Amino acid sequence: MTDDESTLQHQIDSFVGAEAGPFLSWDTVNRAMIRHWCEAMGDTNPVYFDPDAAAAVGGKEGGVVAPATMMQAWTMTGYAGQHPPGSDTREGMPVMPVLNDAGYPGVVATNCEQEYFLPICEGDEISVSSIIEAISGLKKTALGAGYFITQLSDFFNQRGEKVGNMRFRVLKYKPAGSTG
Amino acid sequence: MKTLSFSDVRMGDQLPSLDVEITAKLITASAIATRDYQDVHHDQDAARALGSPNIFMNILTSNGYVGRFVTDWTGSTGQLKKVAIQLGAPNYPGDTMTMSGEVVAVNEDNKSVELKVVGKNKLGNHVVGHVVVSLP
Repeated sequence: MTDDESTLQHQIDSFVGAEAGPFLSWDTVNRAMIRHWCEAMGDTNPVYFDPDAAAAVGGKEGGVVAPATMMQAWTMTGYAGQHPPGSDTREGMPVMPVLNDAGYPGVVATNCEQEYFLPICEGDEISVSSIIEAISGLKKTALGAGYFITQLSDFFNQRGEKVGNMRFRVLKYKPAGSTG
Repeated sequence: MKTLSFSDVRMGDQLPSLDVEITAKLITASAIATRDYQDVHHDQDAARALGSPNIFMNILTSNGYVGRFVTDWTGSTGQLKKVAIQLGAPNYPGDTMTMSGEVVAVNEDNKSVELKVVGKNKLGNHVVGHVVVSLP
């Protein structure tokens, strides 16, 4: 490890344990966004379209349920990269800008482990809080050298019930062949 | 849609395979449907600048396809309890991802089934997943 790498490692390690959130959703859980998601996934499961079918899997008050694997989509920042008003103003992953500045601009997700505890129902307001669980040492990969960052997130509905959780790992890397 | 009961399932059962044609349209549409505006999922020049030959499917979509693949098999009364995926070879336009799955455990106490799901493209395994789904 070079001195620069050692300094950077020390700096990024300090972000392990950093908490952030809650971050809110721009939209309540709604049928239009569910339908667009299902179109792209080719998913025709009736519980996402038909309240009668949804009632058998926890749908409420004449509403549909959302795909479990759509959980993360509700709290994404969207086009402008901003969380909605009322969200925590801290960075969700504050180590990212540090690695950008250090010459590791690439980011690619490598792992996603989700558990689902309650159905996400039409009308729900989903929020997420997270913590940085781990940051690796510098690793050589096919894309280039970089660091694996693991974030743990808990997703809640408007009643404060935990609907699911997620362990999400990304590689933050310097593209192979780049001189930066 | 046919629905599967817990009593229908045996260890080692294979899921019907699914071919997913990977197109630029699918990659961009599914990235936006999952609210992921990272440029590597819609902008080829940006993807190249970061060392990829082309745009590639985002992980939220791979996750969605793994879930859909399992609930296509269970029918509408199957409820996903866990989806854990690891990504390998990227899904680039022009490729086909062939999904396969196998029952690796059945849990009588909570009527759940564990599956190994693989989505393979011409570069190798795009996604390997472990899924838990409960059945009536």
